[in-house]
Amino acid sequence: MIKDLALMIAGKAGDGVLFTGNVLAKLLKRHGWEIVTSRDFPSNIRGESTSYAVRASLDSIYGLSDQVDILLAFDCESILTHLPEIAANGIVFCDGQGLTALPPEQARDKSFHLFSLRALAREQFGQEIFKNVIALGALCYVLDLDASLLDGIISEMFLKRKGEQVVQKNVQAARFGFKRAREITADSEKHPLARKPDNDRILISGNEAIGLGALAAGCRYFAAYPICPASEIWQWLVHHLPDFGGAVVQTEDELAALNMALGASFAGARAMTSTSGPGASLMMEAFGLAGMAEIPVVIAHVQRLGPATGMPTKSQQGDVLQWIFGSHGEFPRIVLAPGTVGECFELTVGAFNLADKYQCPVIILTELDMGQNYRTTRAFDFSGIRVDRGKLLRPEELLGMAEFKRYELTEDGISPRSLPSWKNGSHLAESLEHDERGYRDEDPLNRRRMMEKRMRKLDQASPDLYSPQVWGCQKAEVGLIGFGSTLGAILEAMEQLRVKGIPSRFLQLRTLWPFPAAEVRQFLGESQDIFVVEHNFSGQLATLIKSQISPCGELKNILNYSTLPFTPREIVEPVLRSR
Amino acid sequence: MKTKESYHRLDPTWCKGCGLFGVFDALKRAAVALDIEPENLVIVTGIGCHGRLNNYFRSYGFHGLHGRTIPVATGIKLVNPRLQVVAVSGDGDAYSIGLGHFLHALRKNVGLTYIVVDNRIYALTQGQASPTTDFGMVTLSTPLGSKDYPIDGPTLALAAGGTFIARGFSGQVAHLASLIEQGMKHGGFALIDILSPCVTHNKVNSYDWYKQHIFHVEDVPGYSPRDKAKAWAALNSPEKIAIGLIYEEDKPSFEELVLPDMEKSIASLDLKVDAVRLGKIADRFR
Repeated sequence: MIKDLALMIAGKAGDGVLFTGNVLAKLLKRHGWEIVTSRDFPSNIRGESTSYAVRASLDSIYGLSDQVDILLAFDCESILTHLPEIAANGIVFCDGQGLTALPPEQARDKSFHLFSLRALAREQFGQEIFKNVIALGALCYVLDLDASLLDGIISEMFLKRKGEQVVQKNVQAARFGFKRAREITADSEKHPLARKPDNDRILISGNEAIGLGALAAGCRYFAAYPICPASEIWQWLVHHLPDFGGAVVQTEDELAALNMALGASFAGARAMTSTSGPGASLMMEAFGLAGMAEIPVVIAHVQRLGPATGMPTKSQQGDVLQWIFGSHGEFPRIVLAPGTVGECFELTVGAFNLADKYQCPVIILTELDMGQNYRTTRAFDFSGIRVDRGKLLRPEELLGMAEFKRYELTEDGISPRSLPSWKNGSHLAESLEHDERGYRDEDPLNRRRMMEKRMRKLDQASPDLYSPQVWGCQKAEVGLIGFGSTLGAILEAMEQLRVKGIPSRFLQLRTLWPFPAAEVRQFLGESQDIFVVEHNFSGQLATLIKSQISPCGELKNILNYSTLPFTPREIVEPVLRSR
Repeated sequence: MKTKESYHRLDPTWCKGCGLFGVFDALKRAAVALDIEPENLVIVTGIGCHGRLNNYFRSYGFHGLHGRTIPVATGIKLVNPRLQVVAVSGDGDAYSIGLGHFLHALRKNVGLTYIVVDNRIYALTQGQASPTTDFGMVTLSTPLGSKDYPIDGPTLALAAGGTFIARGFSGQVAHLASLIEQGMKHGGFALIDILSPCVTHNKVNSYDWYKQHIFHVEDVPGYSPRDKAKAWAALNSPEKIAIGLIYEEDKPSFEELVLPDMEKSIASLDLKVDAVRLGKIADRFR
C-alpha cells in the first residue's frame, strides 16, 4: 500500500486544471489523507500552461515532494515540461498525440497512456467539459479510491447550482473514466492507497482561513479592491458577513479601501481590508493615518512577486520591510506571519484583538503560496475565541467622566475610546499631531509626549504576540530561520537532512514586528551554522535580524527569487554545500 | 432646542474675511434647523484651510488625509447610518487628489452631505493653481498663467449620476444654510459646492466678483431641480454661475442597498462568538 503520493494535473489555462485539482484534493482528503497542494498558473485566463500539484500522505506533511508519481496532462507540452519531475514507475496520462516522439531514455521506468479525454467527452457526453470528471474517474481507478466519495463531491458542487441532471451526467462521466482506465492500464500500474478515517480535519486555503478567522473574530466591515492573489478572502467573506449583520464593500481603489476601513473602525466596527503588492503600496499613507489617529484596523497582505505589477500569480516574500518600516514618519504597528493554514485562522482571530487592544494597524502577512493553495489542518475550535475590545468604553462610563480625552496620556500609552453617537465622547480623530483631546497642537513638548505615548504602546505587548516556534532537534549545529509559507519546504528539507545524518532545527517567526529579539538571540546562540531561508532577492528577514540583534554573528542566506516556491532540495543543497 | 452655540467649540482663526467663516456659520445654522444632537454629527475633513473646520466644531470629527474624506465618511455612514455624516473638502481635496472618490460616491449614492469649499486656489500651501483656478490666472505655480481649463464640480456630478446637486456662495449664508439643510435631509449623496473667496491668495474671485457673476436658479422662470435638461443648461450658462438647488432626484441610497438591516447598525452588533453557527460554516471545508 502507498502512504505518500504526488500527483499533478497539467494543461493550458482554461482546461479546468483548477477544478480537477480541487476535486482531487478533496477526494483524497476524504480518504483520510493529509494534503498539500500547489498551483502554478499564468496571469492570463486562457491559453498558457498551468499545473496543479497535489501531495497526499498518511502522515503529517507540510510541503511538496521533489517528484511526481502520476501526471495527468491535458496537452503534450505539459509532459515535456514536467518530465524531469516524473518519478521512476511514474504514470503519465495524456490527452493528445505525439507521445511516441519521446526519446526512449526519457521514457524509461515510466508508463505513458494516450487517453483521449476531449474526444471521449465529446463522443460520450456531447461536451468537452466532461473531460475533467472523466479524468477524475480514471484516477479513482488507478488509486483504488472509493467512487461513491467522488459522487458525493460532484453532488456538493453541482446540485444546488446546476441541478440533479447535471450531477447524474457527471457521475456517469466519472464511471466512464473509471472503466476506461481499467481498460488501458496494467494491473501493475495501480497505486492503491491505504485509508484512514477522515476525522475532524478540514481542507482549506490560507485566504479562506483568514476569511473564516475574520468572521469568527467579529469583523463586520470589509472594504477592498480586487487584486491577485488576495481576492479569495473577500470572495469568501462576501457570502457570510451580511448574514452576521455586516457589510462588504468594493471600493474604487486601495486608497479608498483602507481609508474606508478606518472610517468604519472609528465608527465602531471591527474592520478589515486585504490586498497584495501594488495595493499595499497605495495603502501606505493611510497605514500611517491608522498609526497617528490610533485607529484599530486589520490588513491582510497576500504577497505576490514584485516590484510594480511584477507577476500577479507568482508567490514571493518581498514586502516584509515595507510594512515594518514603511509609510513616512514613525508609529507602532504589528506584523504577523502565519506559517500554516491553521495559523492563518488563529493569527487573524488574534489580529483583531491586538488591533483593538493596542489601537494600531495589524498586518497579516502571507504569500500567494499560502493564500491560494490548500492544506489539511485540524478543524478550527471556535469555542475558545474571546472578543476583547480593549479600552473601548461603554456609553454609560462616558457619562460619569468629568472630561473625556481620546488621546489621554496614560502609563501604557493606550487611551480610552468612544464612538460617534455616544454622549460626552466627542473628539477629533486627527492625522495632524494633536493634544489629548485630538485637536491640532504644534507645541514641541506636546509632540514629544504624544510621540512617546504612541511608541510605548507596544513596549509590554510581547505576552500578547505570537512567539517564534522552534521545530526539530533541541540542539543541532544547523539552524534555519524563516517565516510564512516557506515552513513546508523547510520542514521537508530538515527530514531529508536527518536522513543524511545531519540534525537541524528551525526557528519559525510568527510575529515579525515588534521583533522577537530575545527568542531570536537565544536561537542564534544555540546553533553554529545559521541559514535564513527567504523567498526574495535581498534577504529581508536577515536584514531585519541584523538590524535588531548586534552582534548577531554570521547569517547565511538561502534565497529564492524565482517564480516557484522553494522545493526541499533547494534548501538541502546549500546547507550541504556550506559544510 | 439647540442654538449655534451648541456646536461652537472654538473661534476660528482663518484669515479675516475668509469664505470659510460663512461656511462654518451656515453649517451650524443647518444643524440647528434640523436639531441634530452634537454627538450624532460627524464632520470629516481633508487637507487645506477647510480642514480646520472640525477643530472649531463641537461634534465628532475625523481630520484625515488629503483627498480621502469620502471613503472615511462612507465607512462611518455604513457602520452607523443614523449619524449625520458631513464630509468637507476644498477644491484641491475634492476635484484634484480625491476626484476618483467623488465620482464613485456619486455613482454609489452614499448618504453623505458633501461640502466642497471652492476658493479656486491652493491657499494653505500659499497660492498654487487648483483644479478650479481660472484659465490664464497667474498663481505661484503658474507665473505665465494657468494652462489648465478648470473643472466644474456640479457639472461633473450631474454627469456622474448625482442625486442632489447644489451650489452656494459663502457670501450668502442664509441661502447656503438652507442648501446644506436640504442636503442633510436628502436620502443619498448631496453635493453642496460652495463659491468661497480666499481673501489672501486669490485677488480675482472676490466677494464682489462673485456677486456680479452669480445668478439664482430659483429666479429662472419655470426652473425645476427635477428637470435634468434645465439643470444642465443652468450649469452651462455662458456668462454667469448658477447657484441654488440645481438638481435633485430620489434614488435608494447605497446604505439602504448594502446593509442587511438599516435599523440594526453594524456599530451596535453583539460580537459574541457563536461557536455552533461558525462550526456549521466551517463544515463546508470537510
